[in-house]
Amino acid sequence: MLQIRNLHASVGGKEILKGIDLTVKPGEIHALMGLNGAGKSTLSYVMAGHPAYTVTEGSVTYRGKDLLTMSPDERAHEGIFLSFQQPVEIPGVMMFNFMRAAINAKRKASGQEPIGASEFRTLMQEKRKLVGLDSRLANRGVNEGFSGGERKRNEIFQMAMLEPSLAILDETDSGLDVDALRIVGEGFNRLRKEDTSAIVITHYQRLLDYIRPDIVHVLIDGRIVKTGGPELATEIEQRGFDWIKETL
Amino acid sequence: MNQYLELFQEQRALIDSNSLPLLNSCREAAAEAFARLGFPTKRVERYKYTDVASAFAPEYGLKLDTPLSQQTIPDVVASRYGTLADVNDDAITALNTMLAQELTVVHIPAGERRQQPIRLTRQLHSTVPLMQNRRLIVVVEEGAEVSLLMSDQTDDDQDFLTTQVTEIFVGKGASVEVYDIERTNARCHRLHQLYADVSAGGRFLHTSFTATCGLTRNTTNVRLSGEGASTELLGTAIIDGQQHCDNNTLIDHAAPGCKSHELYKYVADEHATGAFAGRVLVRQEAQQTESQETNANLVCTPWARIYTQPMLEIYADDVQCSHGSTVGQMNEAALFYMQQRGIGADEARLLLKQAFTADVLNLIPFEPLRDWLRNLANRRFEGDLNHCRTCQLCGPTK
Repeated sequence: MLQIRNLHASVGGKEILKGIDLTVKPGEIHALMGLNGAGKSTLSYVMAGHPAYTVTEGSVTYRGKDLLTMSPDERAHEGIFLSFQQPVEIPGVMMFNFMRAAINAKRKASGQEPIGASEFRTLMQEKRKLVGLDSRLANRGVNEGFSGGERKRNEIFQMAMLEPSLAILDETDSGLDVDALRIVGEGFNRLRKEDTSAIVITHYQRLLDYIRPDIVHVLIDGRIVKTGGPELATEIEQRGFDWIKETL
Repeated sequence: MNQYLELFQEQRALIDSNSLPLLNSCREAAAEAFARLGFPTKRVERYKYTDVASAFAPEYGLKLDTPLSQQTIPDVVASRYGTLADVNDDAITALNTMLAQELTVVHIPAGERRQQPIRLTRQLHSTVPLMQNRRLIVVVEEGAEVSLLMSDQTDDDQDFLTTQVTEIFVGKGASVEVYDIERTNARCHRLHQLYADVSAGGRFLHTSFTATCGLTRNTTNVRLSGEGASTELLGTAIIDGQQHCDNNTLIDHAAPGCKSHELYKYVADEHATGAFAGRVLVRQEAQQTESQETNANLVCTPWARIYTQPMLEIYADDVQCSHGSTVGQMNEAALFYMQQRGIGADEARLLLKQAFTADVLNLIPFEPLRDWLRNLANRRFEGDLNHCRTCQLCGPTK
């Protein structure tokens, strides 16, 4: 479904990704682990089409289409969802309007009619409950005045609303206490559709206790240097990354 | 400048014969003041950001022989004409006083509370370049309440110049709300002067909404002259193309215990120019003043320009005052976030612009108008203002 081949990318003239190869099949969950600065977030931004990042070499194919030639919104219509590490605050843009604009843009791209107001309201209510966001959500500005935990839950809520085929979770566990982590983790599992694939970027094992990965990758200095099963995450939790570096 | 003085001298008899004696009685002094002041150049501090002379560049026609629909004006109104709008202080006020033939009077006697707003719709219609000099006086006596909905529009793609001088007297404990909505064409030059005096315990709200314009200069002077008076000045300007909008305000705290709140927001796109200069003067006797002034601007292109100048002048020692301004660009991180959710770049920008102006519009207490202005702003941002759909408030349009 997703094929990344020899991907090189830079930001501000500095090369961050130095040849990434990654294949994700429908329904698979991949964990991407690594130290700060290894290029994990860069990979997620490049896949989402952030304008600050330049792809210098390689290809990203998603469901047979060249992802790199698409605008960020076109990628979203193809089913790519990025849960941001630091979701931005957009004062004055109400969640209700924001979410409806997002859903309708997606529907329009696939030739569907816009969603009706009452149907949308019901859908929003159903999904927000699953991540423990209260009824004021619709009339709040996007992430405006949200706590760290609320922002992350809001990301999962948006994922549930948009039903992506590939969700990229960029350190969704960062800044969360144990309870919030459980809500986000369980929320993800409940809200994810069967064939939704995911790339879970994290430093720690703890989110992976909820979101069980099929495959675990270790990213060091812009390259995937090790790939294994779920046991690799457990090993990293116990031994850190140094032993992997030493084998390089 | 001379052509207007000459016009006045030559056509004086015609002007007078189609005007009220009240207006005629003030012309001579106004002409003298205008001759002395001349058109303000950019060297005049209050006109630093607007080239007034360029507004007078086209050869305008003036309709001087419209027959007068004579009505008697109550003494309480007549005695106040020209008392706030000082011809010696401003050349536009002087020019207007010299030439104005049309006077609109709003008089609300003591204690009368008007539930429905009074609508004043001005529609400019002409096949040749046209100049109009309008005059408005509003006297709201003790404890009375009124709101005025002023709509300023152009029907034809023609050069227009309007000068308007408005004098508003807010009596003791009275309440006056003025909503001034401009939707004029790119060839319209609008030079409006508003003067308000608020007596003890009175309340004055002024909302200016520039939806479209050519060159607009709005001067808003509010004097809080009685204890416990309050004023709120709200402004929104949505400008693009070569549009120019300059709001110049003065809030004069001349009595103790008064409150003022001012919020102006501009969205400047393409090559538009916006200017805001807001002076808050707190006189020595104006103890326990509370004043808050904010101007925030969103600049959407590298070519759009914003000039902002909040000014606070305090001579009293027991006051709470703040003032500030911001000029920012589109939030790129927010744009990317929205695009990642599937919202196209144009729509994402639209949502950000709408959000930016929302907080000014949210402060409008008159709900039907608030909703209508939100809708107007949205349609303006969408580039769809040429077709007035179900417009109840701004009058019939084509």
